[in-house]
Amino acid sequence: MFENYNFANPLFLILLLVVPIIVYWFFFYKKNKVTAIDYPTLKNLEVIPLTLREKIKNLPNILRILVILFAILALARPQSKIKSEVVKTEGIDIILAIDISASMLAEDLKPNRIEAAKKVGQQFVTQRMNDRIGLVVFSGESFTQCPLTIDYNILQNSIQNIKHGVVEDGTAIGLGIANSINRLKESKSKSKVIILLTDGVNNRGEIDPLTAAEIALQFGIKIYTVATGTFGTAPYPIETPFGKQYQMVPVEIDEKTLRQVSNRTGGKFYRATKYSELKNIYSEIDKLEKTKINVRSYTRHKDLFYFPLSLCLVFLFLELTISQTYLKRIP
Amino acid sequence: MTPQELLKQIRLVEIHTRKLVNQLFSGEYHSVFKGRGMSFSEVREYQYGDDIRNIDWNVSARFDYSKRFEKLFVKIFEEERELSVLLLVDASKSSNFGTNLQFKNELATEICGALGFSAIKNNDKVGLILFSDEIEKVILPKKGKPHIFRILRELLTFEPKNKGTNISKVLEYVSAMIKKKTILFILSDFIDTDFEKPLRIAKNKHDVIAVRIVDKLEESIPKAGLLQLRDSETGQMRLVDTSQKNFQLKFASQFLKHQEILNNIFKKNKVDVITVKTGESYYKPLQQFFKAREKRMAI
Repeated sequence: MFENYNFANPLFLILLLVVPIIVYWFFFYKKNKVTAIDYPTLKNLEVIPLTLREKIKNLPNILRILVILFAILALARPQSKIKSEVVKTEGIDIILAIDISASMLAEDLKPNRIEAAKKVGQQFVTQRMNDRIGLVVFSGESFTQCPLTIDYNILQNSIQNIKHGVVEDGTAIGLGIANSINRLKESKSKSKVIILLTDGVNNRGEIDPLTAAEIALQFGIKIYTVATGTFGTAPYPIETPFGKQYQMVPVEIDEKTLRQVSNRTGGKFYRATKYSELKNIYSEIDKLEKTKINVRSYTRHKDLFYFPLSLCLVFLFLELTISQTYLKRIP
Repeated sequence: MTPQELLKQIRLVEIHTRKLVNQLFSGEYHSVFKGRGMSFSEVREYQYGDDIRNIDWNVSARFDYSKRFEKLFVKIFEEERELSVLLLVDASKSSNFGTNLQFKNELATEICGALGFSAIKNNDKVGLILFSDEIEKVILPKKGKPHIFRILRELLTFEPKNKGTNISKVLEYVSAMIKKKTILFILSDFIDTDFEKPLRIAKNKHDVIAVRIVDKLEESIPKAGLLQLRDSETGQMRLVDTSQKNFQLKFASQFLKHQEILNNIFKKNKVDVITVKTGESYYKPLQQFFKAREKRMAI
């Protein structure tokens, strides 16, 4: 209960040692040394009963002791502590650009590329704090699944809702980047990042990936490119009248362009051949794009000395008035 | 007190009491305190009214008859005045109190002066015993004015060692020590009440007169709020609420109770009491005492 209270000048509490001495002084030493009228005999007064005033004759002394006690407490300057932490963070803006072309259904990454990307993306989102994150999907065209937001619940849902075949098939990397840039260009945050996940070659769209990278550079946007897919061939599921069959399809990834895109904008290129690799890549990006967090914790002291001080003054006033009026003694 | 001051004080007491001694008490003192026996002093011619039993027939017979007329002579006796007066003065702390012009012990000193000078004038011996709860100082009875001055000096300068009052102790002491019949004046405030037996014993042998000295603040305490009082004899402290309801009544009744106890003791033992108050003339109470006693002796 008292851990939130302390004394600013606790050395004054040493003065409390004086209090027993004063008690002794008032109640034992001075008891028979007060000024009094010498009277021949008090025998005649023995039968006269004590009145209230005589019974509380020690009240001024008690009040004086309280005055001293509270004065010392006030001198020691009691304070209450209010600890507070101010977390000052500068969030960054991140767009997750995810390829949803048909090739993403290849199952070289388990369960398949798109699901792996979704899962890792969700994990990535949970790692971030105070960042605005948006989601852009692209295949033959590109659209924004979720604009920049800090509402991660919606974002998680949006990531969950990514599906292949919503738009025309193909791989328009340039358009995806451009769309992402469009989302980020109004942003005022210091750091703007696009994490582009794809598994193919730019074969659609009006914008070349490199051109898009140039634009990104203009806006100061970093692009991390993540290429998914094993080297060689990948199993690709095909629906046939006989059920699902797998066909080995060669993996074509335009690594060179992706590398250029990332290099041009100050990002990094990654290649993920397995789900675990993809996970590592995202966590690496997560580390690289750490936001600055300034935590300033400080303790606010609230002086409480006026509390004992006011008590002290009240008692002092009471002592002065009572001893001069109701308990005024002669001599 | 410097010697000059002391001398002045003694002188003052003498002057204060001189008038009383010379004019008022001269006859009264003499007649009230009679000597033990009568002794023959002279013969004188018989006058009308003389007791015929006192006619000295031998002297009358030897008178010269040649003158042809007879004369009778009566014997004149004078009382034997080797009286001694012993003043027992309470020197306890309670006598160091007074609210009306003088302290109780100052009044006691003046009364001692008046009685002492009266005694000396009648060729009596005067002694002094100062007491508290112990015998503090004894000055044996002696004649002469210088002796009275000594007694006065002692009364004015004495500092008692003890505080309390013990009247029975001083009475026992006097009974044991003084063999001859003495006039004992006890000057005290009689705060003590437990002295009846020693008083009876002393009364059997001596002539005891109690002089009770009171201050008006002892009779009643005015309404003055809270008073911090210290018993000057025991040192006990008491805060008294004098403004409480019926305080004055209660206190006065308590004082009267004490007074009644004292008066009972004195009455039972036939001790005369003179009550004097500080700041008031002690002449009247003394005068009354002498008058009453004279009347009693005449019967």
